[in-house]
Amino acid sequence: MPYPTMGPAMRLLINGRHHEIEHPDEPLLWVLRDELGLTGTHYGCGIGACGCCTVLVSGEPVRSCQVIAAAVGEQPVVTLEGLATRDAAGEVVALHPVQQAFVDTPLQCGWCLPGHVMCAVALLARDPDPDEAAIAQAAAPNLCRCGGYNTIKAAVARAAELARES
Amino acid sequence: MTDTTDTTGAARTADTTQPAETPRRWRVTRRRLLIGAGATIGSLVVAAPAVIEYGRPFLAEWMLGRGPGSAEIPESALIWFELTGQGITLHVPKIEMGQGVHTALAQAAAEELRVTPGQLAVVQADTQRGFAASAMFTFGSSSVANLYLPIREAAATVREMLAAQAALTLGVAAQALTAADGVFAVTGTGRRLAYTEVIANHRGPWQEPDEKPVLRQAHEFTSIGHSAARVDFRAKVLGEATYGYDARLPGMAYGAFAVPPRFGATLLTAEPGDARGMPGVQQVVIDVAAGFAGVVADTRTRAWAAVRALKLSWSEGSHVDNAAIEAQITAGDGVVLRRKGWIGSALGEGRVVEAEYRTPLAAHAHLEPLAALAHLPAGAEGKVEVWVPTQSPESVVEDLRAAFGEKREVVVHVTQLGGSFGRKGGQHVAVEAARLSAATGKPVHIGWTRETDMRQAFYRPPTHTKLRGAVGTDGRIRGVEQHSAAGDIIWAVAGLPEGVRRVLGFDPGGLLGLFLPYDLPAYRLVNRRERLPVPTGPWRGLGLLPNTFALESFIDELAEAAGADPLQLRLAHLNDEPEARRLAAVLSAAAQMARWDEPLPAGRGRGIACSGDVGTIVAMVAQVDLSGGRLRVTGVDVAVDCGLVVNPAGATLQAQGSVVMGLGSALREELQIRDGQVVSDNFDTYPLLGMADTPPVRVSFVGGGEVPHGMGEPVVGPVPAAVANAIRAAGGPRLRTLPLRL
Repeated sequence: MPYPTMGPAMRLLINGRHHEIEHPDEPLLWVLRDELGLTGTHYGCGIGACGCCTVLVSGEPVRSCQVIAAAVGEQPVVTLEGLATRDAAGEVVALHPVQQAFVDTPLQCGWCLPGHVMCAVALLARDPDPDEAAIAQAAAPNLCRCGGYNTIKAAVARAAELARES
Repeated sequence: MTDTTDTTGAARTADTTQPAETPRRWRVTRRRLLIGAGATIGSLVVAAPAVIEYGRPFLAEWMLGRGPGSAEIPESALIWFELTGQGITLHVPKIEMGQGVHTALAQAAAEELRVTPGQLAVVQADTQRGFAASAMFTFGSSSVANLYLPIREAAATVREMLAAQAALTLGVAAQALTAADGVFAVTGTGRRLAYTEVIANHRGPWQEPDEKPVLRQAHEFTSIGHSAARVDFRAKVLGEATYGYDARLPGMAYGAFAVPPRFGATLLTAEPGDARGMPGVQQVVIDVAAGFAGVVADTRTRAWAAVRALKLSWSEGSHVDNAAIEAQITAGDGVVLRRKGWIGSALGEGRVVEAEYRTPLAAHAHLEPLAALAHLPAGAEGKVEVWVPTQSPESVVEDLRAAFGEKREVVVHVTQLGGSFGRKGGQHVAVEAARLSAATGKPVHIGWTRETDMRQAFYRPPTHTKLRGAVGTDGRIRGVEQHSAAGDIIWAVAGLPEGVRRVLGFDPGGLLGLFLPYDLPAYRLVNRRERLPVPTGPWRGLGLLPNTFALESFIDELAEAAGADPLQLRLAHLNDEPEARRLAAVLSAAAQMARWDEPLPAGRGRGIACSGDVGTIVAMVAQVDLSGGRLRVTGVDVAVDCGLVVNPAGATLQAQGSVVMGLGSALREELQIRDGQVVSDNFDTYPLLGMADTPPVRVSFVGGGEVPHGMGEPVVGPVPAAVANAIRAAGGPRLRTLPLRL
């Protein structure tokens, strides 16, 4: 492991909240899932090939299986669980437009959703009106074994519409 | 499948809303599984080898015709439908692995309950609630086809029970009530009563009506046949859905266990080695007699690391590689599964075409690797409770009882499945997790690495098909002789003595797609099955994709030899039988979608292929572009006749997804075996089709009907043949081996 254990004082900023973490030497993926219970971020391959573990770090899509938690430091991390608008009690008030688009235009098993949703969120943040090529380019690194690639393109286009409407 | 009456019985008595003494009032005829039928036939086979020689073709046809059946339907509608003050909850007795079955069955239920989608809560049945024995086995694209009527009948029964209670409360006759959107209204008055109030007013056990309820007519449908939103997707986009990898309990630890270094290797000795002292390791668990060596640690990666530090020795196992496996799969000698006409003289007329086709081992490559959480107290007593992504909860119950005692109470909670495609039919990892939980007294979760998942699997078996056919300049096929060879599928996972399998000579799964659907004067099919040193088994569609690749490529080769249009040659050899007419209809529909008759520029071509499976008939046209010496699939047009379409949006996803998976097999997937082990064990070495290589896929449903047929597998069948035919039509070579490479 390239990063030494930094002790229990390590803090991560996840979905707008600080969390103390015990195992900063672990990949971010396992800290999110197993220490913090944020199981919306999925494991698929462990080599950064499938995209199921994608999260946003400082707004950019990152394969969390490839990043040691300690290396994230104070950069804000956003996972699937952090996208919706919630009230003070934590109840969902509104889905993020990308989430709503994938409810309206669903995939099949959904294990690959973190990659497709997070890449779309990042895309729309920098380009609110992406053309088909831009959508395909942003989504392309993520696998979907159920074969929903055309649906993903439609969902991201729909998300852009929803985001512009709101 | 064996009976699990104990489990169901325990579940019924444990739940107060499920009447224990209600007689069975509605049911479907029990149909045996292919496996069960095969086992029964197997004993006959041994007794009468002379009879089997002549009876085998009829036996094969009969087994193929039966298809996958559901086995047990529960006695009471209230096993599936739970009535509470909040409303109605459907405990779906099928597993959700992305195929959308929870949504489709909820639609069928909502239709008869007369509720809106939001008024019906949908949850996964488990062995405590909603479990209907082997009906929960989710396989063979059979869920919607087999439960479409039973779910509707159960839902209508519940509606009638609610109506009786509502009539009582309102002081009117039940006939005076109309039901819509979860509310009863008294005809001719403004009086209304919501289902939730009806349930709240009710005391004592519910009485199911003696009469079979009247089902809605197709023209009245407001839910069935209309696209519905997926019931599970809001939770999935929020990251709140629980898949097998996500199952957790307070105080749980992470487990891992040693897996053999080669196929067939068994554990000889095991010692903790350095594992015990490694960081976070809580326990090393060794049981050589059970072939088990595992560790429990405080994090998953530490468990994975520690298991690699165990000191283990294994028996030799197999050193097989791809070449050896391919050599074993050689079409030639075998058993005759179809004979029609006089093939010898038929092949003496017209132009004779000979060709051989091969398909490789392929992996399921579901994106969620196998996983399970288990909790059981130390000692020989107490409940074994597991959370596991499985297509077959009953198998998990059996596996756990085999390991922990036949009398042991077992509770299986089925999670969401992150893909499966046949792989999660058997899911032994629940037993390994339970062994570690038993040793530590803690809940233990095991999640496999991708590499373990790819190595400790079973695979789509390789095939070799030799075809000889004769065709005249009149465009009529004189006859076809087919020699097929494949590794086992059903026999590889079902317990049947090898001697019986050998006499039988075919594998029931290998029958799918095996027979040419065309009306030929002469046809002879010789089949050979092989037990391979590599684990093989069910993969989406079983034999459908490999067999269809060979047969539908060969039909195009005959068309080319005859100078005939491939579509017209197919249509000319389909007779007036119902299935043949349906094939002709989907072929024509796909051709029309793809503008079959319009010429394409040089370097581009269209290919057509078709197949039938589980009552569903599919044809598709693939278009390819070979310009620049590179193969690109630029579009696929699919026409499907799956009978009644319950959820058009869901069925379209199934069809599109099947095309993409079929393209993966056509263009990329080939499992690499060296020295008795899978070496293509992650997505860098076993590349899946990605977005960049996925063309537009247009899907059209034709035919229709009163009942739905399967949609999980059939569409995967014709994909590689359609692409191979398109390559040839574009002026490229005739490619006869998957994956297709220019």
